Amino acid sequence: MSPRMQKKPEEAVASVVPQGLLRKLNVSDIKPSVTNPRQLFDKAPLDALKENIRQHGVLVPITVYEVKGQNKYAILDGERRYRCCQELQEEGVTITIPANIVAPPDKIASILYMFSIHNFRESWELMPTALSLKVVMEALGETDNSRLSKLTGLSEPQVERCKVLLSFSDKYQNLSLNPDPKERIPSNFWIEAYPVLNLAEEVLPGLRKRLGRDGMTDNLVEKYRAKRIKSVIHFRRILEAFEINSEDKSKQKPVVERLENYITDIQLETRKAFDDFVVDNRRVQNAIKACDDFVSQLERGKLEHVIDKDELTSALKRVNSYVEALLSRLEGADQPGAVASQDEHE
Amino acid sequence: MLKTIKTTIQNIRYFRFYTWAVFHFSDYKPQPVTIPRVAKWLSQFDEKDKQSIIDLLHQVNYISEKQTESLIVKLHANLWERLAAVNITSKNIIYVHLHDPGSSSSVMLNMLRDRALLERRGSHFVDSKNVRELHEITSKLEQGAIIYVDDFSGSGDQFCEVRDYLKDYIVGNFSEFFLLPCICEEAIYELGKRGIEAVAEILHAKADRPLHNMSSIIDKRTKNRLVEISHKIDKRGGLGYKSMATMVVFYRNAPTSTPSLLRGNIKQKPFVGILPRTTDLPVTS
Repeated sequence: MSPRMQKKPEEAVASVVPQGLLRKLNVSDIKPSVTNPRQLFDKAPLDALKENIRQHGVLVPITVYEVKGQNKYAILDGERRYRCCQELQEEGVTITIPANIVAPPDKIASILYMFSIHNFRESWELMPTALSLKVVMEALGETDNSRLSKLTGLSEPQVERCKVLLSFSDKYQNLSLNPDPKERIPSNFWIEAYPVLNLAEEVLPGLRKRLGRDGMTDNLVEKYRAKRIKSVIHFRRILEAFEINSEDKSKQKPVVERLENYITDIQLETRKAFDDFVVDNRRVQNAIKACDDFVSQLERGKLEHVIDKDELTSALKRVNSYVEALLSRLEGADQPGAVASQDEHE
Repeated sequence: MLKTIKTTIQNIRYFRFYTWAVFHFSDYKPQPVTIPRVAKWLSQFDEKDKQSIIDLLHQVNYISEKQTESLIVKLHANLWERLAAVNITSKNIIYVHLHDPGSSSSVMLNMLRDRALLERRGSHFVDSKNVRELHEITSKLEQGAIIYVDDFSGSGDQFCEVRDYLKDYIVGNFSEFFLLPCICEEAIYELGKRGIEAVAEILHAKADRPLHNMSSIIDKRTKNRLVEISHKIDKRGGLGYKSMATMVVFYRNAPTSTPSLLRGNIKQKPFVGILPRTTDLPVTS
C-alpha cells in the first residue's frame, strides 16, 4: 500500500458500526469468530454464566455481523454467552440469543480485534500475531513500539518480540509455520536465539565471515533438531555467561571460545557448554533480597492513607513498569505443548 | 444327488455374487476387485455367516470415479450460484486442499479446477500447509469465501485439526465451506461448532451403518455376529476409526472408519479384505 493510501493510525482503531438491527438468533445461526481461541474461557465463571442463562436467558445482546454467503452471523462480542448457549443446547435446552447486528469490520479493524483477543490467550502463538502486526505496520505506516502497543493492545515487549520474529527471513519464519508440530520450530526459538546471534556476530567476526549470520542460524536450527537445545530459554545461559564475565577480559576469552565451539559443534548441548561460567548465583540472590527489602520498607512506611501522593504514585508507577517489563522478559518459555496428531486418514 | 444339486445352486449364487462385486466395484483403485479375490475373501467366513456377509457388502455405498466427479462438480456449481448471489465472485474465492499432494483432497480439487476452469476465473488455490500464503491472500482480499475440498469426512477430526491451525492465519471476513461428496453426522457436528458449512450430497448417518451401535437396519443377532467377526479380525479397531463403522467407500480408497470385515488386516495378513485401504496392502517391490 502506498503511503498516500495509508490510514491514519487513529482512524484504524477497531470500531463497531451499528445497523440498528436487533434480532433473536438461534445457536446454529452463529459462527464463532476465527479469532476467538478456545483457551480463552475459564470453566468456573463460564459455568456460573451458563446457570444464569439457563434461568433467565441471555439478557445482554451479543454483537454480530453477517457472514456473506453463509446465512450466519460472526461474533464480535459475546463469545462467552454464545458458548454457554451452545452447551445448553447440547443439554437439550433451546435458547434464542438477542443480537445487535453491525456492519462487518474492515481488515485492520478485524486484525486489531484479533490482537485484543490474543492478549487474553494463555498459550499464545506468536507467528500469526507477528504476521498480522506486519499487515498493520504496512497499512498504517506505523513502526513505533509504544504507538503499536496502544493500537493493538499488545504489550510493548510483545510488539518487540513480533518485530524480532519478523527480522528473520521468510526462510526461517516458514520453519515456524509448519502445521506439523513435530517439524515446527517454535517461534520462541527465534526470539531467544536473536540476541545470541547478535552476540556471536559481535564477538566472533571470524566465524561471522566464515559462516555468515544465516550459517550460524542454520547451525542453531540443526542443533535444535538434534535435541541439543533442550529448552529455548537455555539460550539465556549464554548471555548470562557473557554478562557475568564481561568486566574481566581474561574470563571472557574462554566464554567467547566456548560460543564458537557451541555454534560449530552441533552435538554440544547448551547448558553443558555454559553452566561452567554461571556457577555464581549471587546476582539473583541479591535481587531477591532487594525485593524483600523494598516491600518491607514500604510496609513500614504505612503509606495507604497519605494525602500528598502524586510523587509517590509516579515513583511506584516507574517501579511497576520496570517490574512488568522484567517479568515479561523472564516469563519467556518454550512453545505450548503440541497437540498429538489424530490417527485418522479419511 | 440332492446334495450335489444344492451345492451346484449355491455355487451359481456365489458366482453371481462374485460377478456383481467385480462389476459394482470395478474402478476401486487400491486393489482391483476380481473374481478370485472376491472368492478368497468370502471363503474366509464360516458357511453359516456367508449370506450375512454378502448382504453386508451389498449395503456398501460405493462411489465410483464418475459419480464422485459428477457430485463434486454439481455441488460446486450450486455453491457458486449461492456465492454469486451475494456478490462473492470467483476472484474472492480461495480453495484449500487439506493434505499432501496425491491425497483425496488434492485430487478432488484438481478435478474441480479442470472441470470448472477455476484458474481461468481467477480463483486462488492454497495448500493447507502454506499458512503464509493463506495469510497473504486473505489479507489482500479482505473478504470472500474459503472452500475446503475433500471427498469424505468421518469424525471430522482430521479436517478440524488442520482448520484449527489455519484459522489463526485468516485475516478479514470469510465465509467457510467444506465441499465434499459425503460427510458423516459426527463431522457435521464438529464443523457446526466452528461455524463451517458442509456442502455435501450424502449425509452418512449412524443409523445408515449396519454395524454401528445406533443402527437397527439389520436384525440384532446378525449384527452382533458381524461385529464379533469384525473384532476377531482386528481386536483394536474392528469397526474402524472411533468404531464409526462407515459404509461409504470411494473409488480412490476406503476410509479408516470402514469395518475390518471389508478392509482386512494390515498387509492383508492373516485376513484378506475385499476393499482394503492403500495403507492396508503389503508393500510390493
